[in-house]
Amino acid sequence: MSEAMIEIKRVSKSFGALQVLREVDLSVARSEVVCLIGPSGSGKSTLLRCVNFLEAYDSGEIRIEGRLIGYRDEPGGRRPMPARDLREMRREIGMVFQHFNLWPHMTALGNVAEPLKRVRGLPASEADERALAMLKRVGLADKAAAYPGKLSGGQQQRVAIARALAMQPRLMLFDEPTSALDPELVGEVLEVMRDLAAEGMTMLIVTHEMGFAAHVADRIAFIDSGRIVEQGPPKKVFHESAEPRVRQFLQTYHDRNSF
Amino acid sequence: MRFDIILHSLGYLLRAAAVTVALSLAGIALGFVIGALVCAARRSGDRFLRRLGGFYVSFFRGVPLLVQLLFIYYFLAEYGLDVPAVVAAIGGLGLASGAYQAEILRGALNATPAGQAEAATALGFAPFDIWRRILLPQALRIAAPPLINEFILLLKASSLVSVVGIAELTRVSMNIASMTYRPFEAYLAGGMIYLAINLCLAAFGAFAERRLAAGGST
Amino acid sequence: MSFAVLLHYLPSLIAGFGVTVLCWSAGSILGLAIGFAVALLNRLPAPPLRWLLRAYVEILRGTPFLVQLFLLYAGGPYIGLRLSATAAGILGLGLYSSAYFAEIFRAGFAAVPQGQIEAAMSVGMTPGDILWRVTLPIALASTVPAIVNMLVILSKETVVLSIITVPELMYQMQTMAAETFTAFDAIFAMAIFYWLLVEAVSRVGRRLEIKLTAFMAREASA
Repeated sequence: MSEAMIEIKRVSKSFGALQVLREVDLSVARSEVVCLIGPSGSGKSTLLRCVNFLEAYDSGEIRIEGRLIGYRDEPGGRRPMPARDLREMRREIGMVFQHFNLWPHMTALGNVAEPLKRVRGLPASEADERALAMLKRVGLADKAAAYPGKLSGGQQQRVAIARALAMQPRLMLFDEPTSALDPELVGEVLEVMRDLAAEGMTMLIVTHEMGFAAHVADRIAFIDSGRIVEQGPPKKVFHESAEPRVRQFLQTYHDRNSF
Repeated sequence: MRFDIILHSLGYLLRAAAVTVALSLAGIALGFVIGALVCAARRSGDRFLRRLGGFYVSFFRGVPLLVQLLFIYYFLAEYGLDVPAVVAAIGGLGLASGAYQAEILRGALNATPAGQAEAATALGFAPFDIWRRILLPQALRIAAPPLINEFILLLKASSLVSVVGIAELTRVSMNIASMTYRPFEAYLAGGMIYLAINLCLAAFGAFAERRLAAGGST
Repeated sequence: MSFAVLLHYLPSLIAGFGVTVLCWSAGSILGLAIGFAVALLNRLPAPPLRWLLRAYVEILRGTPFLVQLFLLYAGGPYIGLRLSATAAGILGLGLYSSAYFAEIFRAGFAAVPQGQIEAAMSVGMTPGDILWRVTLPIALASTVPAIVNMLVILSKETVVLSIITVPELMYQMQTMAAETFTAFDAIFAMAIFYWLLVEAVSRVGRRLEIKLTAFMAREASA
């Protein structure tokens, strides 16, 4: 229990001349829920994508349960991790995307069952059974046979969550899971995530839903210009922060959402 | 391979290439006029005209060009009309291209969002001004790249008029092949000239597309 | 054209139609196979290979089909490639269409959203599984309309094979026309026949298209 689930140390990342992450440090303990907030373009999505190495970080280290992801330390220096080892690590990290990224040619059930068959190697009947149980858990058992194109955004995102959960990951990453949704559909997705947090899942969430972050997160990390400028319990960050950038960001947010 | 044979008849080939380009230009121009008329018919309020336009497009896109060309050729012969083969060839290319160009123009006009015409109407534009100032400039911009592509296709299709005996590039390649007994070199040379012309046209098309795209943002 | 004449030539016309269908289907299958291989090879990170494939596609798309046929059939023997007219016709159709099919498949691959591939990576699927289970099905479904369209175009291109004496329908019809001096009637019948054929093939194609891509139909906003 002493070991952090995610340990990010001095991680930097540039896209060409643009530096998006500057020596970021962050750790997430087992069963902890951490929300990353900050203005758009601050680097929060990039940081999240570095955690399962969909984005390669340039320097620093990210460890999942103590194991370095993406690279292997060798006597001559650091080398890219063998693809096989990377896949093995990714299996334990669930990821939910802003645009769902369901596979359009498979039904809801097919989307959830596919990784179970291909990656976990379960026989078809067992994979389907487990997939159906997962769909039930996100309240979509009746949509098992529907193709993604026939589902609402909220339903698609719940299927995407079921797909990630079916793999029985050790932790879950959420990349703005409700940003592409119509306002009336946000609630159903947040509810699923809230349940998940209550069950003790380790979660790292990039979000613009401040209300959700305030209620569900154990800790908030505020990122600006590629740096974490403030972190702590929601109450502290939202109400007691002395950091001007945090206060300005929250002020803008409140102005936009009150009428 | 004996490329000296090709070099020997290069002047002959290049003159034939000029005939091919001239035939295609005449064909595309005739096709544009026909295409504009057919497109207008397909967009008109009159049901009969719309049907007629639809029939034209379906027929000339459905019948193979070779059959169309021979049809015109035999038609003229059947009724004893003394029309030069070149005119028949251009007519055939133009009739066929007209069907494709009508569809290009129609697609371009449909691609302009209806909201823009509505906005102009709301501002008090007269219908003719909407057409002239809003729809047409955008439609031509959208239609330009596919029209250049249509020209490339027509230039290749014009090789078929060789069967009615016009001394264009394919026919001349055939002649050189049979005169020199070197068909491989002859057709290779003919093909390379087609390729060179088409690559130039494609480059021009890409250039035009960039220019038009740049113009669109200002 | 009298009925008796038509009846006399009917067997050769039917045989000709058989050759037309054979050339069309064999040429299309060959073209699809080569085109698919070209598009797949094009994904390998090998610049010289890509350059070569690009040249292959550009040459075949930049030259008339008729000239390609002549080169293959008349020029072939001079480089040791001796083919019957029909074999040259099928090979010619296959090579010609392969360039267009390669472009169709390339566009199909490019149309697969990166996010759907990332989703497969994030659950730890292997590159092979990602290709076969995610990239290919999505890419292929998006290419169905263009493939149907190309098949219709190829059905019309088969008449060009008559010029190199492939005994397909057009060739048989012209033989009949020459022997009976009924050129105009014959070509008129051909025009109507091909028109109906192309309309029918297009219609079947559209129905197939709707069936194959029904599940891909998305609501306006994802």
